[in-house]
Amino acid sequence: MIRLRTLQGPALTLSLLALLWVIVLVMLLALKPSVFSLGTMTSIIQFSTILALVSLGQALVIMAGGAGIDLSVGGIVSLSAIVAMLFVKLGLPPVLLPAACILIGTFLGALNGILVTKLTLLPLIATLGTFFIYSGLALALTGGAAQSGVPTWLLGWGRGTLAGIPLTFLTIALPAFAITGIVLVWTAWGRWIYAMGFNERSARLVGIPVDRARLILYAASGALGGAAALVSVAWLGSARANIGQNLELESLTAAMLGGIAITGGRGGVGGVLAAVILLVTLRTGLLQLNVNTVWQVGIVGTLLIFVLLADRLSQHWR
Amino acid sequence: MTAPFLAARGIAKRFGALTALSGVDLDINAGEVLALLGDNGAGKSTFIKILAGAHAQSSGELLVEGAPVSFASPKDAASSGIATIFQELALSENLSIAENVFLGRELKRSVLGIPFLKRGEMRKRVDALLTELDAHISDPEAPVGSLSGGQRQAVAICRALNLNAKLVIMDEPTAALAVAETRKVLSLTRRLAERGCAVVLISHNISDVFEVADRMVVFRRGRKVAERLRADTNPEEIVSLITGAHPDVRALERTN
Repeated sequence: MIRLRTLQGPALTLSLLALLWVIVLVMLLALKPSVFSLGTMTSIIQFSTILALVSLGQALVIMAGGAGIDLSVGGIVSLSAIVAMLFVKLGLPPVLLPAACILIGTFLGALNGILVTKLTLLPLIATLGTFFIYSGLALALTGGAAQSGVPTWLLGWGRGTLAGIPLTFLTIALPAFAITGIVLVWTAWGRWIYAMGFNERSARLVGIPVDRARLILYAASGALGGAAALVSVAWLGSARANIGQNLELESLTAAMLGGIAITGGRGGVGGVLAAVILLVTLRTGLLQLNVNTVWQVGIVGTLLIFVLLADRLSQHWR
Repeated sequence: MTAPFLAARGIAKRFGALTALSGVDLDINAGEVLALLGDNGAGKSTFIKILAGAHAQSSGELLVEGAPVSFASPKDAASSGIATIFQELALSENLSIAENVFLGRELKRSVLGIPFLKRGEMRKRVDALLTELDAHISDPEAPVGSLSGGQRQAVAICRALNLNAKLVIMDEPTAALAVAETRKVLSLTRRLAERGCAVVLISHNISDVFEVADRMVVFRRGRKVAERLRADTNPEEIVSLITGAHPDVRALERTN
C-alpha cells in the first residue's frame, strides 16, 4: 500500500501525460487525418531528440536542488556547435567533431558549475549570465552565418532512420535517458542526488559531497547540451548560432511537465521524456493545423499550469 | 566498574572573552543513560558539541576508552564511535527508511566503477535493527516523510546504530513529540543503553529524565555543579540545582 502511494507522484504524472498525448492525437486525427504518416512520426522524434537531451540535463540540475536551474542550455547548444565547427575549419580532423561538441559542452557546463558551487552565485543569475555570454559569443564568432562543412558520414547518422525512428534518437537520446534512469534509481549516486535536492543540510551532515556532485551535474547538463549540438549539426548539415534559441524555456517546461519538482529532490527521467514527446507532438500538430505561433505558446503554458495543478491537488488529497 | 567509554578532563571552552564552559570533568559509561540538565546557556549544548566534534575545546582533554583523542570535525568523532542525533534529525523525507539509515554509506557493489545499491541487503539490515529496537515500523521501504516524529527518532537511532556508534548523543529527542510518542522514544533510549551503548541525553523535561536516566549531571553557568544517581535524588532537588536555589550550588557560587 505504502509502496503504491510513493509511486503515485511519478505514476500520476506519466498517466496524465499519456492521457494528454492521446487527446492531442485524437484531436489531430479528427481535424486533419492526413497528418498521420511515418514521415510525421519520424520528424516528431527527430525534433524531440534535441529537446530531450537538453531537458534531461535541465532535469538533473533542478533535481539536485540548491535552487538549481540551467538557463544557459540554449547558449551551450549554439556555442558548442559553432566552436566545434570552427575547430574543424581550423584543421581539427572531422572524425573528432562529435567528441569536440560534447567536450566543449561539458566545459561550458562545468563553468556554470564553478560559478554556482565555488563562487556560490545564485544559479538563476549565474546561468542567466552565461546564457547571454554563450549565445552572444556564438553570434559574435560567426556574425550569424551558418557554418557548413559537416562530413557526409555524419550526415548519414544525423538523417538516417531505423524502422522510421531517427538514428540520433536511438543512439544518443535513448541511451542517455536509460543510463540516467539507472543511475538515479539503482545507484548510491542517485540516492545522493535525491537527498541533496530535498534536504541539502542533512545531505551535508551525512557526508555527501554536495558541491562536487552539483558541479558534476552542471557539467553533465553541458555535456548533454553538447550532444544536442552534435545532433543538430549532423541533422542540419551546418552549425547555426541560433539553434539553441528558446531551448532553456522549452527544457524547463518539459522538466516541469515531466514531474520534476522545481524545489528539487522529486521526479524521474521517464516523465521528462514523455513530456518532451507530448510537447513536440503538440507543436507539430498545431503547426500542421496552421495555428498561429502565439496560440501555440499559450497552449503550452496552459498545459504546464494544468499539470502542475493536478500534481499539487493530488498532494493535498493524500 | 570498568573504565568509562569516554572521559572528559577539565574541559573548558572560551568564545573570545566569554567563558562558555570551565573545568568540566565527566565520565560517560557504556550501557548507561546519562542526562545533561541545565538552563538555557548553562553550557550543556557547548559540551555536547565538543563531544560531537563540532567545536574544539579551549583546554582540557577527552579520552575515549582511555586513549586521548582530539576531534577536528564531526567525522573524527564519528570514527571514534560517537554519533549525535540532532534536534532537526537530518533525515531526507523523500527517501525511504532504509535509504536514510544508509545515506552516505550505502552498501554497494561496484560495476565498472558505478556504485550499484544492494537494496535487499540494506533492507534486511534495517529490518533487523528496527525489530531489535522494537520500533513498530513494518516497512523499511516506507518514505520517512510519512512517519511520525517518534518513528523518525527511531530511524535516526537506527542510523546511529548502523554507524556502530558506541556513544549516542541525543539533543532534546522528545521536545516536539506527543505523549505516546515520547514514551516510545524514551523506551528506545533505554533499549539503546541495554544494548551496551553509552547514551547522553539532553532534556528540559525532568519527568522524562527521571524515567530514563541512570545518572544526571547538572550544568549551571558553564560549570558542572552536580552529579547524582537517579536513586539518590528527586525531581525537586534537581530543579533546585538547575535554578541555583540548592545550598550546594549557592556554596559553590559564593566561593567564586
